[in-house]
Amino acid sequence: MSFIKELTKGIIKENPIFVIVLGMCPTLATSTSVENALGMGMAATFVLVCSNIFISLIKNITPDKIRIPVYVVVIASFVTIVDLSMAAFIPDLHKSLGLFIPLIVVNCIILGRAEAFANKNNVLNSIADGIGMGLGFTLALSVVATIREILGNGTWLNIKVLPETYDPMLITLLAPGAFITLGFLMALMNMLKEKK
Amino acid sequence: MKDKYIVSSAPHLHDKTTTKNVMWNVVIALSPALVFAVYYWGFRALLLTLLGAVSAVVTEALIQKLRRVPVTVSDGSAFLTGMLLSYNINAGAPWWMPIMGSVFAIAVGKQVFGGLGNNPVNPALLGRAFLLASWPSLMTSGWLKPKSGALSGIADPDAIAMNLKALSPKAFDLVTGATPLKVVQTLRDSSFVASINADAGEGIDLANRIFTNITEMDALKNLFWGNIGGCIGEVSAFALLLGAAYLLYKNIIEWRIPLFYIGTVFVLSFIFGPIKGAGFSPMLPFFHIFAGGLMLGAFFMATDYTTSPLTKNGRIIFAIGCGLLTVVIRFVGGYPEGVSYSILFMNVMTPLIDKLTMPKAFGRVKK
Amino acid sequence: MKMFLQLGLILLAFCMVATALLAYVNSFTKPRIEAIKLKEAADARNELIPDSEFEEITGDLSYYIARDKTTKEIKGYTFTAEQIGYGGPVKTMAAVDKDFKIISIKVIQQTETPGLGTNATLPKFTDQFKGKTLDQLTVDKDGGVPPNAIKALTGATITTRAVANAVKASIDKLRASVSQSPETAALSDSTAALEVAK
Repeated sequence: MSFIKELTKGIIKENPIFVIVLGMCPTLATSTSVENALGMGMAATFVLVCSNIFISLIKNITPDKIRIPVYVVVIASFVTIVDLSMAAFIPDLHKSLGLFIPLIVVNCIILGRAEAFANKNNVLNSIADGIGMGLGFTLALSVVATIREILGNGTWLNIKVLPETYDPMLITLLAPGAFITLGFLMALMNMLKEKK
Repeated sequence: MKDKYIVSSAPHLHDKTTTKNVMWNVVIALSPALVFAVYYWGFRALLLTLLGAVSAVVTEALIQKLRRVPVTVSDGSAFLTGMLLSYNINAGAPWWMPIMGSVFAIAVGKQVFGGLGNNPVNPALLGRAFLLASWPSLMTSGWLKPKSGALSGIADPDAIAMNLKALSPKAFDLVTGATPLKVVQTLRDSSFVASINADAGEGIDLANRIFTNITEMDALKNLFWGNIGGCIGEVSAFALLLGAAYLLYKNIIEWRIPLFYIGTVFVLSFIFGPIKGAGFSPMLPFFHIFAGGLMLGAFFMATDYTTSPLTKNGRIIFAIGCGLLTVVIRFVGGYPEGVSYSILFMNVMTPLIDKLTMPKAFGRVKK
Repeated sequence: MKMFLQLGLILLAFCMVATALLAYVNSFTKPRIEAIKLKEAADARNELIPDSEFEEITGDLSYYIARDKTTKEIKGYTFTAEQIGYGGPVKTMAAVDKDFKIISIKVIQQTETPGLGTNATLPKFTDQFKGKTLDQLTVDKDGGVPPNAIKALTGATITTRAVANAVKASIDKLRASVSQSPETAALSDSTAALEVAK
């Protein structure tokens, strides 16, 4: 029961981007196209699940006072190991996702979930939390990216969706466009929540 | 009714000034510029301005309905924002340009922050910044030639142009296809100057010739009357000064911001205006205050009540900052014109300036 | 005091384990990654000038001489040019034929503005370099006139300059370096070399 609950909460109710507002830097940087958003989302989900497992395993041997530096060391080394192994053994996948792996080190979602969830819960729930949060992150990123890619480039997942005569609104691809899109989506989420 | 009983501390000043009164008076003051624009570019200029103003009003009404607050479009502030935004675009722009700009200006620039009086920056300028970032090529090219003149304002374009066409096609394109500020900006590019001088051949300093022509009296007259390429509402310094005089007479705007803004640009362009390799002209400061959107910006946009400082000293700091940034963008930045960005930047600084310059209450001891 | 020491030691232990793990992973992934990188570079070169063998020349400008596999005749050169663009260095890989005419270019690394500068990686932009000679590599905004110039990307003149000027400067260096080396000059088609030397 609680496994399912931990799994689904990250998708809408505690969506890491729209509700908890975590991981803003990668959100703004990689939501320029749906392709990038999916890549970043998948890479982050993978790392998040693994780091949640790790943190949950070591939670009992980590002294409380130094838990943050320990998490940083664990996550950073883990991400680097994933990065190196992918580059060496699955170079094709690394080519498309590799760009996002180093970015994940600075993704606050990973540390945020380690601190807020994995160090208080067992391994199984931590896995559920990681998957749910990762999916929520991917979903939110894709929504932002869909709006930005269609308006800013006239395409969706590199497929032309708007007519050739459409003059792309370039601002949506730039940083201000990311902030404005995100702001409006958050407002929309809050509006829907109030209605409920 | 409840708005009539406002409890506040002394002094209680009373005045017939209302938002409505101020806004529509500014619209009146802006109309001479529109008359000139219609004269130079035909009814297209009027149509674009109306499209901008009407879509601003409609957007404001719709959003106020959505926010479930009273619809206040009759106060004219949205109309004015739409009008100012349209004044900031090229008469040759596509019809949807003022609409997109106005919708953004009102929705993101104003209503998102809570409507009139709460916007941190001038909505019309934010709308312009949005258009410039979204469609940079449409916003910076395709200028319409005024009815009887040249884009660059050079008095007798044909005589110089014919000569130029033979000497250097690049220089010819520049003089006939760019706005005055763009010409001057291009002359700052030493590789361009070298290349046109090389085209012209030994002994002819083409850059200097263009520079002299663009700052001589006849060209300045064109700048003053607005017989140049540019945005709908910015070209005619004369029409804008006429409107500004009306606003000053009606006590709607105060003299400090325009005077210090234009004064700073005047002084700084006298010092830093001359271009290495293209020569010096004593008329250069006049060129820089009449060219581009300075008159429109200094009198009608920098003076916006909500986004400029409250204190007198604060306004002077604000205006000097605007002037300094304008000159920096014009002389070293990537854009030929810097009025809109400089005002936007100083708008953001306004709360800080207010805090620094707020006078001490009488009797309070300095800590 | 004792507590601080204890905590420090625990953190140290974590770091040591992490470092050891990283060192171990690095020890067996590094050679593989380097081999993959070399292979990728070689593949990229082969894509630019097919059916050739490459010889690396290092110096002021490092470049590869492409020779036909059977006749050993020089077919062209490939090199990587780099210049600072709008958001950092822009790396361009280019191939030129023996007359220093561009065969094709490829922007291999950039951090430009999405939607503006990143358009430099698209074939729409890079294809216009094909067949251009050294003096046709001026950006139109700098006074070049198309078709004998590079058409600047909308809203990304600086990126365009970074690509065009980097390639231009590198071809210049390449030409100097090739004409200095008698061995390569002799091997290449002599009339073409003379043409270029002028």
